[in-house]
Amino acid sequence: MTMNMMLNAGEAVASETKVQPIVRLKGIAKYFPGVVANQDVDFDLLPGEIHALLGENGAGKSTLMNMLTGIYRPDMGEIVIDGSAVSFASPVEAIAAGIGMVHQHFKLVKAFTVAENIHLGWKETPRRIARDLLEARTAELAASLNLAVAPGARVSDLSTGEQQRVEILRVLSRKARVLILDEPTAVLTPAEAAELFKALRQFAARGNAVIFISHKLDEVLEISDRVTVLRGGRKVTTMPTGECDKRMLARLMVGQEVVLSNMRERRPDAKPVSPQPVLSLRDASARDDLGNMALKRVSLELRAGEILGIAGVAGNGQKELSQVLTGIRALASGQVEICGKDLSRAGAEEFAAFGVGHIPEDRLQSGLAPALSVTDNVVIREYGKAPLSKGWVYRPSAATSLARSIAEAASVRVPDFGMPVRNLSGGNQQRLVARREMRIAANVLVAAYPCRGLDVGAINAMMRYFIELRDAGVGVLFVSEELEELLKLSDRIAVMFHGEVMGVVNTSEVDIETIGLMMGGQRRGPAGATAEN
Amino acid sequence: MAIRIQRVPSESLAGGVAARLVAIVLALVVAAIVFAFTGADLGKLGSHVLKSTFGSRFGLMDLGLIMTPLTLTGLAVMIALKVGAWNIGAEGQFCAGAFAATAVALFVPGPNVVVLPLMFVAGALGGMIWILIPTLARAYADVSELITTLLLNFVGVLLIYYVATGPWLDPSGVSFASTARLPHDVPSFWGDVHWGLPLAILLTIAVAAVLNFTRWGYEVRIAGSNPNAARYAAIPFRRHLIVVMLMSGAIAGLAGMLEAAGTAHRLQGGISNNFGYIGIMVAVLARGSAIGVIAGAALMAIILKSGISLQTQGVNISTVLAITGLILFFTALADELSHYRIVRTKEA
Repeated sequence: MTMNMMLNAGEAVASETKVQPIVRLKGIAKYFPGVVANQDVDFDLLPGEIHALLGENGAGKSTLMNMLTGIYRPDMGEIVIDGSAVSFASPVEAIAAGIGMVHQHFKLVKAFTVAENIHLGWKETPRRIARDLLEARTAELAASLNLAVAPGARVSDLSTGEQQRVEILRVLSRKARVLILDEPTAVLTPAEAAELFKALRQFAARGNAVIFISHKLDEVLEISDRVTVLRGGRKVTTMPTGECDKRMLARLMVGQEVVLSNMRERRPDAKPVSPQPVLSLRDASARDDLGNMALKRVSLELRAGEILGIAGVAGNGQKELSQVLTGIRALASGQVEICGKDLSRAGAEEFAAFGVGHIPEDRLQSGLAPALSVTDNVVIREYGKAPLSKGWVYRPSAATSLARSIAEAASVRVPDFGMPVRNLSGGNQQRLVARREMRIAANVLVAAYPCRGLDVGAINAMMRYFIELRDAGVGVLFVSEELEELLKLSDRIAVMFHGEVMGVVNTSEVDIETIGLMMGGQRRGPAGATAEN
Repeated sequence: MAIRIQRVPSESLAGGVAARLVAIVLALVVAAIVFAFTGADLGKLGSHVLKSTFGSRFGLMDLGLIMTPLTLTGLAVMIALKVGAWNIGAEGQFCAGAFAATAVALFVPGPNVVVLPLMFVAGALGGMIWILIPTLARAYADVSELITTLLLNFVGVLLIYYVATGPWLDPSGVSFASTARLPHDVPSFWGDVHWGLPLAILLTIAVAAVLNFTRWGYEVRIAGSNPNAARYAAIPFRRHLIVVMLMSGAIAGLAGMLEAAGTAHRLQGGISNNFGYIGIMVAVLARGSAIGVIAGAALMAIILKSGISLQTQGVNISTVLAITGLILFFTALADELSHYRIVRTKEA
């Protein structure tokens, strides 16, 4: 039944287009345990076009492209290249068919030169060749494809923009006709991005095609000929870019039927929002790991009993913000206060002691020790307190019983508390982390992308937890890139762009488009007088 | 139907143990095949090995003597792994410990009760000093301790050769590469087997208890498993790294002291006898468990002792080392393979 519908949809697309598409996806579906990553996706790519693939995180863009490049196999549907159906068993076969992808995280050998990287793992590389010749070949290739690279330079010495050009050159040198770019501008300066766009237009003008994955609306409007919007793993629409505007795309991406459900309503017995902030940040600046200023003179206030949403495209300073607010990252300047106490110079220990819980954005990287047991991981905030520790003695049995009660509160069934925590699903890991942090979050919970990569059940659990905390009089700082989530849950939303706060708005007085525009860098005056001092 | 190989996130305990036993048996089978090709009489070799290792008082004593340093070097490598560091340098720390303890024995006059404890302290300090630079380089400059600890092994081994053939050479002229008999011994409790063996086992159990039943041990486990998580939970990763690596060096140094003062009774060239390297194998076999260290040390002692018996039957030492290498190779393979299982699936 569904199969038939999908085939019909595919035919409908076919009849609309005269030119034979280079790539056609028909009724593609992909399932992961508990998650529908893609369902009924039809997509076609015409020669000469730059086709934007737009969608929020988790909309299924990457999964779809991973199927096209042979990393995954579709569970249903068909991939058609130049009119004939194919089945890629590996990325090598996809490359042979002319489909190349430049990933968000480059896959270059940093210690090698540009020429060496270009020729690495390429069957056309001569078996024995002098360094000069290798570099000459590279220069020739670069010139023919109009991509300026320095063949003799070591990749580690190149800027991100230059590294990306090397990646693109490597893909194009394999005679790719389809170039897939996964959020290519996320790492580029505006000048580098302009240069990239120029190169992409030239590439497409030669009869090739580009798939441009992004969730930045401006870019999509600037570079693409057509745009396909994905939401929740399904295709929403494909339209010529000329017929689109920003508001419309934002709406399509986030969903027409954004349910502003009553999660923002409080229980009658909920504690009221405090007049004084529990957390305040004044003119705070901080550097990222590379030493760049990632947080620029940010001022924010969080009151007890409210949820403050932090919106913005990932990588605009949210990570640094959440680290500054939990004592993991030092401030370069400015001040942070918890309950009126200056903690600008304090470390993670003091923040935890002052009742600040933290759900870190990368739970496996920093929130958990994946190889250690469930018990070890769940007690990481309380191992030093009674009854787990008495003086320097640590009691594993007390730890296990605490772990048991946390797992119960999180409704996570743990078959064996001694097994490595990585054996649990991502959703269950996150429930445990959240419950663990809620226990110490007497004043503030900083939750960075708590719903990222989770299935619907786990996302709902997270939201319930935050409401529970809010009604108990805790201030919750909720960082997310999903506008829908933010609108559902937050009382106020602060939008970040390039390390700055573009404005703080009351959720009840704002629409998605406004927030979308602020995410793109438009400033907005402060929200109503009640929300600001 | 198709058969696929699927990676499972973690193996079961029974599966891990079974995989290791299979690995050891496979290594022995491969060794036996090689022996068979050289024309050796497998039955005769086998029974000789069993008799000389387990069938005699001297065989069992030898096992105890070999197991003592292996338990300690294995423990040294294992504890460093707990904090996420590979101490490949137990060999060098062993030499440094033996050297320092010998210096005290030769040049500090006094009764046994005073000098012997001093030798213990000197042995531990010697090992600790030997790992100090690699530790600080790792902690403050992120220099891989793999390289630095390994390179210092050669320095340590050569240092022993230098003093044993030069300045500290036995004046009586009995040997060309050893000091005089040390004036202080670690006392024995059963024939030649000295109190170093029970001490090593107790120390291993004590370390396990500290890791599992103290706050410090918990912090070390977290820090070693994921430094980012340690930072997140305000656990001082660097401090724990330094302390544990120094402990690791001290334990390896103690092994050297016990070997010089308990087993060899002198400092001689080649005293470390690859015990430091074999300690790495012990730690790998132990998979992070202290009881595993004791069992691994016992197993390696049996293999080494069997090797010595084989040597008396005309099998050379390289062959014996090859067998130990095979066991490690097969164990590493088993470790990886036990993370996979074969599943039958319907073709999509």
